[in-house]
Amino acid sequence: MTAHAPLGAVMATQTIARGLPNEHYVDPGTFAEEKRSVLFANWSGIGFGKDVPETGDVRPVEFLGIPLLIVRGRDGSIGVFQNTCRHRGMILITKPTRIRGAIRCPYHSWCYGIDGALRATPHIGGPGRNCHPDVNAAELGLIPIRSHVWRDVIFVNVDGRAPAFEEMHAELLERWREFDQVLHHGGPTSSFKLDAKTNWKLAVENYCESYHLPWVHPGLNSYSRLQDHYNIEAPGHFSGQGTLVYRQLRDADGAVMPDFAGLSEKWSEGAEYVALYPNVLLGVQRDQAFAIVLEPVDCEQTIEHIELYYSVDTAMTPELDNLRTENARLWKTVFAEDIFAIEGMQKGRHGELFDGGCFSPVMDGPTRNFHCWVATQIEKGRAA
Amino acid sequence: MDRNTLDHQLLEAHAMNDGLALVHLYTQAADQREAEGDIDAACFFLTYAFVFALEAGAPEAKVLNTRLAARGRAHVLTF
Repeated sequence: MTAHAPLGAVMATQTIARGLPNEHYVDPGTFAEEKRSVLFANWSGIGFGKDVPETGDVRPVEFLGIPLLIVRGRDGSIGVFQNTCRHRGMILITKPTRIRGAIRCPYHSWCYGIDGALRATPHIGGPGRNCHPDVNAAELGLIPIRSHVWRDVIFVNVDGRAPAFEEMHAELLERWREFDQVLHHGGPTSSFKLDAKTNWKLAVENYCESYHLPWVHPGLNSYSRLQDHYNIEAPGHFSGQGTLVYRQLRDADGAVMPDFAGLSEKWSEGAEYVALYPNVLLGVQRDQAFAIVLEPVDCEQTIEHIELYYSVDTAMTPELDNLRTENARLWKTVFAEDIFAIEGMQKGRHGELFDGGCFSPVMDGPTRNFHCWVATQIEKGRAA
Repeated sequence: MDRNTLDHQLLEAHAMNDGLALVHLYTQAADQREAEGDIDAACFFLTYAFVFALEAGAPEAKVLNTRLAARGRAHVLTF
């Protein structure tokens, strides 16, 4: 077995802690280990409810090599199954579609309801004989994957052993309780992706600190200075940054997006941006919200799936289309500005003599929080 | 409909991926075989009709399932 770099230094106090060793960014073997210990063992984001808007909508996604199927059920709830026929392992659905009656396997036509129940096994007992005493359909439904939807993000816990989502993330749910209201996706222009040649963790690390803002996002300096930001650290759960000077986007006539209802005074000029471990980045502001699901393609490739949401129905407010489009353009600019940094850190991690890096005792708390959490998950996996 | 025409229409329906046409045509094929007393062949074609009806969410799925179950060729489903 390959010897792993020690993680004790990662879990030391912040003033002397080191960052995760290079292998956590460049080694496929460590990526495979993190797949299980970090991403499968916790609640990881895989998609968005807005992509399965109607009953019967199904969408295949691949999450770290596992073929999954997101389903909008008859009661409106979202479920996730393994996208694999229980017969011979055939992939069931290859592109998003709407199921009108049953999911039919293209190979031998086994049929499943959108609740996962096996409904038909044609010719299982011979031509024209669709049942057999040795085949119990009740035991051969689609394999459910534990899932939860929050802020329109679809989370899964692949290994099935994490605490319930509401229990694990109680602190952030409570912190953002005021934003627990209907989110309206902003439409096609509010949806975009960024492809980065980087390990997914570097996107998390960059997102949750404000330390880089003055240099990487100079456009913020005029109205959201470094000193207007504060660290958010919830060891073991999430970290990020808040701002005290959120400024709403206005159009030429001074119009703004409508606020979410019932927000307290804190949110008049406050906004928060949190990385919910492991791979979901969230932002809340008085008049908009966003969610980013980081898709780890491989050790050195990540796709950022970015979705923007508002307080009002997009179809009912065409007068706000220009504002939504401009808002999306601005966010895309900001997020794209970070790409050189996360790709640059990825390249830097190939420097074998790099010791994992160190942390500003004041500015890097959120990032160090994340490193420490990842290390504890790895250690937990190794001890199991 | 004679057998050749039915076969031709079935192939066309498969090529067009016309699920509802497949339901109706396979049901016709099953009916013909049942009338001839060939129950195995009838159930073979009923299976096709049933599967395509189930997939399409067509109301015929219930009747077709009932017909197969009556012959012991399928479990009864709830719809």
